[in-house]
Amino acid sequence: MARTAASSQGSSLRRREAWQGYVFASPWIVGFLLFTAGPLLFSLYASFTNYDITSRMDWIGMQNYDTMFNHDPLFWKSLRNTLYFVVISVPLQTAGGLLLAVILNRKVAGIRLFRTVFYLPSILSGVGVYVLWMMLLSPSAGLVNLMLSWVGIDGPAWLTDPAWTKNAVILMKIWGAGGMMLLYLASLQSVPQQLYEAAELDGAGKLRKFWHVTLPMITPVIFFEIVTGMIGGFQIFQEGYVMGYNNDPGAPMNSLLFYNLHMFLKAFKVFDMGYAMAMAWFLFLIVLVLTLINLTLSKFWVHYEGGER
Amino acid sequence: MMKFGKNRKSWAIILAILCSFSVLTACSGGTSGGPAGTASTNETNGKSEDGKVVLNYWTWWGSETRRPIVEKLVDDFNKSQDKIIVKHSYYPFSDIFTKELAAVSAGNPPDIMMNDINTVQQRASKKQAINLSKYVEQSKVKDRFFPELWNTVLYQGEPYALPFNTDTRMMFYNKDDFKAAGLDPEKFPTTWEELDKVAAKLDKKDGDKYTHIGYSPQFNSDWNLLQLNFDQGRNFFDENGKPVVNAPAKAEAMQYILDNAKRLGQSNIDAFKADFGSKQANPFIAGKVSIWTDVTNFYTQIRDYGQNLNFGVAPLPENKPDSGHYSVGGGFVIEIPYGSKHPDEAFEFLKYMTDVQAQTYWAQKNFDNVANKEASNNPELQKNPVYKASVDNLAVTKMTPNPLFAPDYINLINPQRDAIMLGEKSVQDGLNQAQADVEKLISNNK
Repeated sequence: MARTAASSQGSSLRRREAWQGYVFASPWIVGFLLFTAGPLLFSLYASFTNYDITSRMDWIGMQNYDTMFNHDPLFWKSLRNTLYFVVISVPLQTAGGLLLAVILNRKVAGIRLFRTVFYLPSILSGVGVYVLWMMLLSPSAGLVNLMLSWVGIDGPAWLTDPAWTKNAVILMKIWGAGGMMLLYLASLQSVPQQLYEAAELDGAGKLRKFWHVTLPMITPVIFFEIVTGMIGGFQIFQEGYVMGYNNDPGAPMNSLLFYNLHMFLKAFKVFDMGYAMAMAWFLFLIVLVLTLINLTLSKFWVHYEGGER
Repeated sequence: MMKFGKNRKSWAIILAILCSFSVLTACSGGTSGGPAGTASTNETNGKSEDGKVVLNYWTWWGSETRRPIVEKLVDDFNKSQDKIIVKHSYYPFSDIFTKELAAVSAGNPPDIMMNDINTVQQRASKKQAINLSKYVEQSKVKDRFFPELWNTVLYQGEPYALPFNTDTRMMFYNKDDFKAAGLDPEKFPTTWEELDKVAAKLDKKDGDKYTHIGYSPQFNSDWNLLQLNFDQGRNFFDENGKPVVNAPAKAEAMQYILDNAKRLGQSNIDAFKADFGSKQANPFIAGKVSIWTDVTNFYTQIRDYGQNLNFGVAPLPENKPDSGHYSVGGGFVIEIPYGSKHPDEAFEFLKYMTDVQAQTYWAQKNFDNVANKEASNNPELQKNPVYKASVDNLAVTKMTPNPLFAPDYINLINPQRDAIMLGEKSVQDGLNQAQADVEKLISNNK
């Protein structure tokens, strides 16, 4: 008897607390419904229409999706460009950030200065950086090719040769790996010292310690970086818009026409907003599926301290 | 411990899913930024305190040179009558069009807007600008404009904007270089073939590197300009709206550019182009290039930075004798966005801005070509030989408005042009591909 009373009292307390919790979260929930979920659903609906923002919104069924998959050569081009960018740049950036963090995770004089120097590029952003890189990457007068020439390499025409433009953007992005470095650095420093001591007692060398202690301990952060880096990678836009040859977006030969750039041009240059929304939803699907795959795969390599399995 | 791990994992999942939502909402973050203008909001319902109608006027002209000119004209208008007050707001060129689009769709647009001359039909068909035919008939302003410009503002035969200013591309050439090479400085070549011969005489080499290049059609110009000139003033569509991207004359224009690149070496051209950009380093003004294609407004740069430069200005050459010295122009129109609460008053301002006085002032201060014929022929302005030449050149200058059935056709042509220029495709293959792509775009849009 007494036992049931206590438990029902406990559940009403829980209910009240839950309710209070929702009240406290309500500003966010209202904001989410109004400013995120609402527009999201609207764009899903509009992707089945010929919506052009100002004059029409007629249901046209799957026509936008049909055009996208079957009749728009630039759609596939832009998707390929974006995939290329993501597949190459995300692993490189992750590895680059980790390498930087490991190098900078030492107690030597002036290390703070180095950390600052390597972190700085990641807080510089926007068009200014692109213009700077366009100068650095200039085929004949740029610093990058000058340095390559010192080691006997005849550098490519980075931003004018369509085979090299995306690599140029990837190179530029790696320069900003300092942002990732910061997270890795923090997680490196939180690896418990006793694990290293235990490994040393077992006779592990430096590489072994890194492979069997450090790396597993920071896998949650690596996982986080890969997931967010991938999502961010799919959204690449400005680089193609600003760094296009002769100021043509995506030029030369549409080699920098990224998915979001194509979407932007359709939405805001020719007001084909319904089509652009269909593109956005397809991208959302791609990213969602890849993220779910990532989450599934994470079981096999991400190590959560506390051992859930 | 167990529970903690589980929570952490489910948080990771939620976080990851939320992050992927940002794919859909990222655009909204990119276009923020408030007005840089000074439009105050102390009016209610478009009326000021003393009962005058307040009109919001948006432009992107915020530079030190242009902004005072824009505001002087607004000021003069406000003082010239006592019923309307126009307030000028400046937004950066990169933002203003998306901002206006959002304002129109929200039903709260500016009353007057400067806009691109090549896209009037698109905006008219999408109800972004209002039909001005009623006002145009009443005020009889039609005849003040150059006909070629007037045509750009018509959608289904009715005007949706008034032409404001324009430009035209011409050849600037260095007379001293001509003299030094033993050429007649008063005689600019009339055909492209002659031009190539003249240009070769103006080149200077040090070893196998060029120190001076006479002319390259890739300097501040490209095939998109030359194809129209070679094809007797016809752009990428014929009079029936059928694409003609692979027309023989357009292929000839491409071949001309390729031959020039072969003679000079593309890497030499690229090295010169790498220097372009800043005003001081303009290769024509710096004396590194003898012949330079530009809009006639380029004169102001020569005037301000090129002291003692002895230059001439001439129309673009022609393909064959008497086939025509055609050029391409652009420009801006002034219009009333759809949803303006005071179109009658706004049109008063449009009328004023395109009238002789305002247009003459604009032309004198900015050295722009203006849409008003009488203002263009102002004797004071015509005293300047470059200005006179630019007005004369308007007779052979073509506008290239985007066709409604394929507004973004150029995004399909440019990549093929680049592929040909990079030697990845033959002229004919590239142009045929572009032609097929544009045809496909048109059928998609049907």
